[in-house]
Amino acid sequence: MTLALNLDRKAAAAAVVHAHGVPHRRIEEWKYSDLKAVLGEKGLGAVTAEWLVGNLPTGVEMFDLSEPHPPAWVATHFARATQNVMSAASLALSAGGVAFRVPKGAKIADPLKLDFTGPGHVRALLVLEDGASLTLLEGVGAADFRNVGFEIVIGTGASLEHVRISPEAGDAVLVEEAHVRIAAGGRYRAHFAGFGSKLSRMELEIELDGAGAQAHLSGVSVLDGKRHSDVTTHVIHRHGDTTSSQLFKHVAGGQARAVYQGKVTVAKGADGSDSVQTAKALLLGESAEADLKPELEIFADDVKCAHGAAVGDLDADSLFYLRARGIPEAEARGLLLHAFLEDALAEIANTDQRELARNELLAALRAIA
Amino acid sequence: MLEIKNLHVAVDGKEILKGLTLSIEAGEVHAIMGPNGSGKSTLSYVLAGRAGYDITEGSIRYNGEDLAALAPEARAAKGVFLAMQYPVEIPGVTTMTFLKTALNSQRRQRGESDLEAVAVLKLVRAKAKTLNISEEMLKRALNVGFSGGEKKRLEILQMAIFEPKLAILDETDSGLDIDALRLVAEGVNALRDPSRAMLVITHYQRLLDYIVPDRIHVLAKGRIVAEGGKELALELEAKGYEHIVGQAA
Repeated sequence: MTLALNLDRKAAAAAVVHAHGVPHRRIEEWKYSDLKAVLGEKGLGAVTAEWLVGNLPTGVEMFDLSEPHPPAWVATHFARATQNVMSAASLALSAGGVAFRVPKGAKIADPLKLDFTGPGHVRALLVLEDGASLTLLEGVGAADFRNVGFEIVIGTGASLEHVRISPEAGDAVLVEEAHVRIAAGGRYRAHFAGFGSKLSRMELEIELDGAGAQAHLSGVSVLDGKRHSDVTTHVIHRHGDTTSSQLFKHVAGGQARAVYQGKVTVAKGADGSDSVQTAKALLLGESAEADLKPELEIFADDVKCAHGAAVGDLDADSLFYLRARGIPEAEARGLLLHAFLEDALAEIANTDQRELARNELLAALRAIA
Repeated sequence: MLEIKNLHVAVDGKEILKGLTLSIEAGEVHAIMGPNGSGKSTLSYVLAGRAGYDITEGSIRYNGEDLAALAPEARAAKGVFLAMQYPVEIPGVTTMTFLKTALNSQRRQRGESDLEAVAVLKLVRAKAKTLNISEEMLKRALNVGFSGGEKKRLEILQMAIFEPKLAILDETDSGLDIDALRLVAEGVNALRDPSRAMLVITHYQRLLDYIVPDRIHVLAKGRIVAEGGKELALELEAKGYEHIVGQAA
C-alpha cells in the first residue's frame, strides 16, 4: 500500500464520519445503544488505542499498521470502503493497528492471543489464505472509550474460530465492528461472552461469498447493575448453498440492558441458503430489559430460514422442583441460569476457552442469582 | 410422624383444602384417593412447600416441628420427599449432576460432609440398576426426552437415593402402562420400611393393587369424607366417587 492509497482510504473514511456524525438512538441500528449520549462533549476523539499480542504462533505473519511499507497482502485487504460510521471512524481517527496473515494451507495449532487496551481507535486485519486454519482469542481491556475496526478475510476452505470474552467493565464504553468475508467452503465460528459495561457493542457484518461458506455465531451475556451489552449482526448470504447459524442467550438483572439485533439477508440468486437465528433472554428484575430483534430479508428462492426470540423469567416449576430436592434457592437459581446459557457456551470448540468462559459465567451468575 | 390438623389452604385467594385432618405414623403407608379437583395435588404441594399455597388455618406438624415454617429445601433435608406428578425437564443440567447436587445439598444442611463424585456415582448406579435406568439416561439432561415411564422411574430413583422419612407420591401412576406401573410399584415397595411413612395420592384404585396401603382416605371438596382399610379402594372402584361423596354429604 502506498502512502497515497492509505491517505485516500482515510480521507474517504473521514468523509463518512463527517457526514453521519456520532451514532445516536434515533438511528435505527443504534436505537438501544445511544453512543452520542454516553460520549457527550468528549465525542469520538482522535487517539490511537493499543493492541497487544501475547504470543505470535509460529507460521503467523504480523505487521504493525503504524509502520510504513506494508506488504502486498495488507494493501490488498486493508480498509475496504464502508458506510459503517464507527468502522470508518476506527480508520479515519487512528494512526495504527495490527495485521496478521496465515499463509495458504497453514494449520496453526496454538491460538493467537490479541488484546485491545487503552482508549481511542484502532484497526485490525486478519487474513486466512486458502485452506488455512486458526483460533483467535480476543481480549477486551477496559477503557473510557475504545473503538475497534476489525477486518477478517477467510479464504477458500479456510477456517477460523474466534473467541471474544469481554469482562465486566464498569464505566467503559467499548465498541467494535468486525467485517468478515468468507470464501467458498470457508468456515467462521465466533463466540462472544459479555459481562457488560456502561455501553458495550459488538457489531458483525458477515458476507458468505462462495458455495459451502459457513458462519456460526454464539454468545452469552450476564449483566447486572446498570450494565449494557449489544450484539448487532448482519449476515449476508451472497452465494447459494451457504449456511449461517446464530444462538444468543442473555441474562439481565438490576437495571441492565441486553440487546441483540440480528439481520440475515439472502441476496438475489443465493438459492439454497440455510440460516437459523435464535435469541433468548431471562430477566431477573422488574427494571432489567432485553431488546431482541431478529430480522430476515430474502431475495432468493428455495431458502431455509428460521428465526425466533423469547424473553422470560426463571421457570417457577423448575425452581420449585430443585428446591424440593434440597437445593437452596440461590444455588437452584444459579443452576437454572447456567443451564439456560449452557447450549450457547457449548458451541465454543476450544476446550480451554470454553472452561474460561464458563468460569467467568459462573462467577457472574453467583453474583446475580 | 405427620400430623395434619384442620388444614385450610387457599390458592389465589380461593380455598381448596377446607379442614383436612390426617395423621401418619412411621412404617405406615396411607393412600389418598379422590376425584379431580378434590385438592389432592394441593395437599402434596403444601406439604412440599410450594409458593402460592397459603395455609389460612390449621397446622402441619412433622416429627413435632411446624412444617409450614420451613423452606422447601429444608423440608427435603429433613426427609420430606414429593414424587411429582409432572417432573420438570431441565435442559442444560445432566441427570447425574442434578442428583449429586441435590444429595450433597441435603447432606450439607444436615451438617454432613459432601459425598465424593465417585461415591455418588457408585450409589446412583447401584440403585438405578434395580429400576432399569440406564447409564445413558443418567447422562442426559434432566427429564429431557424421557418417556412418561422414565420420568416416574427417575422420581423413584431419587426416593431410593435420598432415603426420605416421609415420601409423598403424587399420581405416580398417571401416564404409565401396566409394565411401567409394576416396575415403579416394585421400586416403591422395596422402600417400605418401619422407619419410613408414605402417602400415596391417586385417582385410581389400580396403583393400590400393587402398593397396598394400610389405610385409605377419600378426599372430596377439600375434606376427608371417608376412611377405611384397603378394601375401601375396591368399593370406590365398584361404586364410584359420587356414591361415597354423596353418602358423606
